[in-house]
Amino acid sequence: MKQPLIILFCGLLTYQVQGQALLNKMKQKAEQAADRAIDKKLSGKQNGSNSSGGTSTTTGPGGASSGSTGNNPSNKGGGGLISTPPDVKQNLADAEASYKTKNYGEARYAVQQAMLGVEMEIGNNILKSLPETVSSLPKEEEADQVTSTGYGWAGLTIHREYYKDDKELRVTIANNSAWMSAYNMYLSNSGYSQTTGGEQQFKQIKVKGHKGIIEYSESSGYKISVAVGQSSLIMWEGINFASEPEMMKAAEAFDIDGIKKQLGEQ
Amino acid sequence: MNQLEILKMKKILTLLLAAVSTVTFAQFDTHMASAKSEYSKGNLEASRFAMQQMMTELDIQIGKEILTMLPTKFDALAANTKNDNVTANTGITGCLIHRDYGTEAKDARIEIMSNSPLVASINAILAIPFMGNSGDGTQKVVKVAGYKSILQKSVDTETNKENYTLQIPLSSTLLTLYADDSNEAEILKWANTIPVDKIAKMVQ
Repeated sequence: MKQPLIILFCGLLTYQVQGQALLNKMKQKAEQAADRAIDKKLSGKQNGSNSSGGTSTTTGPGGASSGSTGNNPSNKGGGGLISTPPDVKQNLADAEASYKTKNYGEARYAVQQAMLGVEMEIGNNILKSLPETVSSLPKEEEADQVTSTGYGWAGLTIHREYYKDDKELRVTIANNSAWMSAYNMYLSNSGYSQTTGGEQQFKQIKVKGHKGIIEYSESSGYKISVAVGQSSLIMWEGINFASEPEMMKAAEAFDIDGIKKQLGEQ
Repeated sequence: MNQLEILKMKKILTLLLAAVSTVTFAQFDTHMASAKSEYSKGNLEASRFAMQQMMTELDIQIGKEILTMLPTKFDALAANTKNDNVTANTGITGCLIHRDYGTEAKDARIEIMSNSPLVASINAILAIPFMGNSGDGTQKVVKVAGYKSILQKSVDTETNKENYTLQIPLSSTLLTLYADDSNEAEILKWANTIPVDKIAKMVQ
């Protein structure tokens, strides 16, 4: 009784395995046929739109390359965002109109936008006043940057880089109370005081009569920070500068009083 | 005090109030004129300073408007309007609006802070489902006027009284309702009398 049952079971198993193999084969064939049909259609389209053809990548809607992983187009470019600062006069007019109609939230937004516009102008004017070349290093036009949040107290940061071969000078002007607190922490922390023994990594200096600090680290080079007025800070970072005097000379190439005046600092 | 004296007093008070409001408006106008003229002259920093002054005035004005929207009482607790306060920092924490209710034994207060540094952490708690509700019942996520909020309970170890804090984040502004010697149902009932939606629109 057992034997026929085993034979029957084996038979069923073999049938199932064979059936499975048959199904897989059919599936494979169907997939291959579908792939061929799609390839044929797409190559036809490609030849229609681009006579050179012959590439394995496909072109999705909007002329974007979809590759072999899916049909979602990838962005090829769009010109980026317009970096024109807000129109100060228009925003002030909007603020005035909103204030008169007691739309204080709208008025606030317009004043904030006007402030953003003014800060961007101040930043751009300061950038223009900075030297074109420092210690034989020409400025990196593309690295010029003015950042503003439009809040007036923590917003304005101006950045420029000078670069040649392996030598670099980065200057950052920040009209920012948060940075000032970090700077004051330096001055009040005895851990940063000048030492005579060991390696000197920090000391207080004056740049064109303005109090500041200079730091040195083997990995990041020289860094000079100078407080300007009540809430502004100028920071220079020098990579591969040969000595402290060379770094000091680079910092002295900047018109600190002019920057101070433009930032409205006393 | 006779009727004539009362009338005179009323007139003086009305004139005083009118003068105060005129000064506020005149200041905004002065700053606006200064911002415009300095900008035209190319004195950008002076123009920027005038704009900062305008921002401060607007913050105070917005704060005052919000104070008029707040409930004048929470059940038996009357608003102590003489303690109403608007502080415009034009700084990191922005504007702070304060109103309190009742007396010390059982009291409540509302604090509204624009640009609150706490908003980010509260939103983080609200975004993660299992973070908002604590097992010991001291913290739970509730909804007030459709806004997800965090309700916290603390028990005074000496008096055994329950104190509640309800934090409602509105964009970058945080509205906090404190209720001492209260209960959950009571604080939620009071919170639902605050025009949260209107305040949210004002502070945006």
